[in-house]
Amino acid sequence: MAIMLFHLRNPRTVLRKALTGLILFFLGAVSAYLVSLILPQFVAGTWGTHPLMPVFVMTLISLVAYKPIERFVKWFLEKYLFRRKSYAQMTLMDLAEDLRTNLDLQELANMVVNTFGEVLRLRNVALLVPDATRSGFEIASSFGWPIAVSKRILLACDAPLVQHIKESGPHVVVRSPLLKSLSWQEANEMGGDFDVLRSGWVVPLFVREDLVGMIAFGAHSPDMVFDESDFHFFREFAEAVAPCVRNAQVVRQLRNTNFQLQDSQAEWFQKTKMSAIEKLAAGIAHEVHNPLAIISGKAQVLLMQKNRAPLEPHIEEALNVMVKQTRRAADITRKLLMYSQESKSPREWFSLGKILDETVSLVGYQASLDRIEISCSVDPELPEFFGNVQEIREIFLNLFFNAVEAIESEGRIGVELRQAPEAGIIEIRFSDSGRGIAPENLEKIFNPFFTTRHAAVGLGLFVARQIVSRYGGAIRVESQAGEGSLFIIQLPCRQEETAGSAKIAPLGKVLIENES
Amino acid sequence: MKKRLLLVDDEIEICEFLKSFFEDRDFQVMTAYSGVQALAKVESFNPHVVLLDIQMPEMDGLTALRKIKEKHPKTKVIMVTAVETQDKIEEAMRAGADNYITKPLSLEYLEKDVQEKIDSLAGV
Repeated sequence: MAIMLFHLRNPRTVLRKALTGLILFFLGAVSAYLVSLILPQFVAGTWGTHPLMPVFVMTLISLVAYKPIERFVKWFLEKYLFRRKSYAQMTLMDLAEDLRTNLDLQELANMVVNTFGEVLRLRNVALLVPDATRSGFEIASSFGWPIAVSKRILLACDAPLVQHIKESGPHVVVRSPLLKSLSWQEANEMGGDFDVLRSGWVVPLFVREDLVGMIAFGAHSPDMVFDESDFHFFREFAEAVAPCVRNAQVVRQLRNTNFQLQDSQAEWFQKTKMSAIEKLAAGIAHEVHNPLAIISGKAQVLLMQKNRAPLEPHIEEALNVMVKQTRRAADITRKLLMYSQESKSPREWFSLGKILDETVSLVGYQASLDRIEISCSVDPELPEFFGNVQEIREIFLNLFFNAVEAIESEGRIGVELRQAPEAGIIEIRFSDSGRGIAPENLEKIFNPFFTTRHAAVGLGLFVARQIVSRYGGAIRVESQAGEGSLFIIQLPCRQEETAGSAKIAPLGKVLIENES
Repeated sequence: MKKRLLLVDDEIEICEFLKSFFEDRDFQVMTAYSGVQALAKVESFNPHVVLLDIQMPEMDGLTALRKIKEKHPKTKVIMVTAVETQDKIEEAMRAGADNYITKPLSLEYLEKDVQEKIDSLAGV
C-alpha cells in the first residue's frame, strides 16, 4: 500500500528508494560474507566460529556506519544516475512541480523563497514581482530579510540591473564578474542595485520575452560559489517557476479589478438609492406637511380663542395634543429628508451623542413594534467630533437597521459611546441580542452586496465601513452564531484640529442649540 | 393705519385659517394662490408683509420673491416652506427673504415675527 502511494505521487521517488535499498542490501550482504570469512582469522577459539558472531559484528557495524553509508549511496545515485542533480536541486524541482497548480501569488512566493533559502543554505532570498503600477519591481516575499525593510524595496524598471537583465535574457546574473566587466561609473550604479537587493546572484524569471519576476539571493560567505551546472539548474528552475508566477500575477490582477468593480458598483448603487430616497422624501414631506399645517393651524386658532371664552379642559388638552403630534409627524419626514440628502455640508464640530439620539428617535418606533429595547449610554466627557453629520448618521442608521434585522423580534440593542483606552480615539460599541454571525461569514459581512437576507441589498455595513475608513477609523465585529453581535467602531478625534479650530467649535455649539 | 398682510399659498385651507387668525388680530389680509397672483396683489394691495410659500404652481415662491423685492424692496417677505432643504433656504435668504418658517406653523411664533417686521418698517 505504501509503495502504491509513492507510485501515485512520484515514480522517481519510488525508483530512487528501490535502488538505494538494493545497493544497501547488496553492500550489507557482501560485508556480512566478508566478515564471516575474516572473523576466524582474528578471533581465536570457539568464539571465532560461533554462528552468531558475524551477526553480532554486523549489527555493530551497521549501528555505527549505516547512516553515512546510506547518505553516500544516495549522493552517489543522485550524482551519477539521476543526471547529476543534487538533493537540493531535486527538492527545488519537486517544488516547481507543486507550484504549477498554485494560483496564490503570496503563498507561491513564500514557498519559493523559503525552500530556496533553506536547501541552498543562503543568507537571504527575495522574490521580486512587478508592482501594481508596473513601474518597478517589489518584493513579494523574502527569506532572511527584516520584514519592515523588504516592504519598502522598489527596484525601478529603468534601474541598471533590470535593464541589463532585459537585454541579456534568462541568464543568471552574478555580481562580481558582471561588475568587473563594466566601467567604474556603471559598476557603481549596478552595484547599488545589488546592494539594495542584498544579493550576489539574480535569477530572472522570463515568460517568453516578458520579465515577470526575479529571484535575488545572497550567501553567508563571499566564497560561496555556484558552478556552471548550478547555473544551468537555476535556469531550468526559473523556466519552471516563471509561468506559475505569471499566472498568479494575472489572477491577483483580476481579483483586484473585480474588487474595484464591485466597489464602484456599490458606490453607484448607493448614490442612486440615496437620490431616489431624497426625491421620495421631499415629495412626501411636501404632501404631508401641508395637511399637517392645516390640522395644527386650526387647532392653534381654536386654542387661542380661549382668551375670549374659556375652553373645556379636555378639549384644550386634545387641541394641545393635536398641535404636538403634528409637529412630531413632521419631524419624522424631515429627518428622513435630512438622512437622504447627499452629504454636501462640510465637516463641522458636533456631538456624537446628539446624532445618536436623533437616529434612535428615527428607528425607535419600528424597534418598539418589534419589541426591541434600545439602550444608549454616552460618556458625558466625550469630546465633540469633527466630521460630516450626514455620514455619521448613516453609520448609526445602518448599524441599527442591521441589528433590527438580526433580532427580528424581541431583543435588545445597546449602544455605548465612550473614549477608547488609547488617547484621542472615540469608541462606538454597538451590541445586539440577535442571531449572530456564522464564523464563515465574519470575513464577508463588510463586503459590498453581501447579505444573508432575501430582500436586502447588502450595502449597509459596507457603507458604514467606507465612511469609518474615510475618517481613518476602523470597524470590527465580534460575534457568535446565536449569541448576538458586537460591532466596535473606533474613530480618531482630530486632535490637531481642536487647537486650530477653537473658534469654530463654540460656533457649532450655538448652531445646535438654536436648532433645538 | 391698518397693518396689511398678503398670504400666498396654493393650499386654500392654509390661507383661510391664517386669514381668520390675522384678521382677528386687526390685520387687513388678502390671499393669493400662486406666484403670479401674488405679484398682482402686491401691486394693488401694497402689503407691509408677505407670507410666501416656496412650492407653488405657475410661479414658485423663489421667483416671486425676487420679483417682489426688485420692485418693492421695502416689503417684508417671510418664506413659508413645507420642505426646507438647506440649499433652498440659502437661496431664499440670498434673494432677500427676511425670514423663513416651516410647516406645520407655530401661530404664536408667526404672529410675533410678523409684528416684528411691521415694527421695523414703522421704525424706518
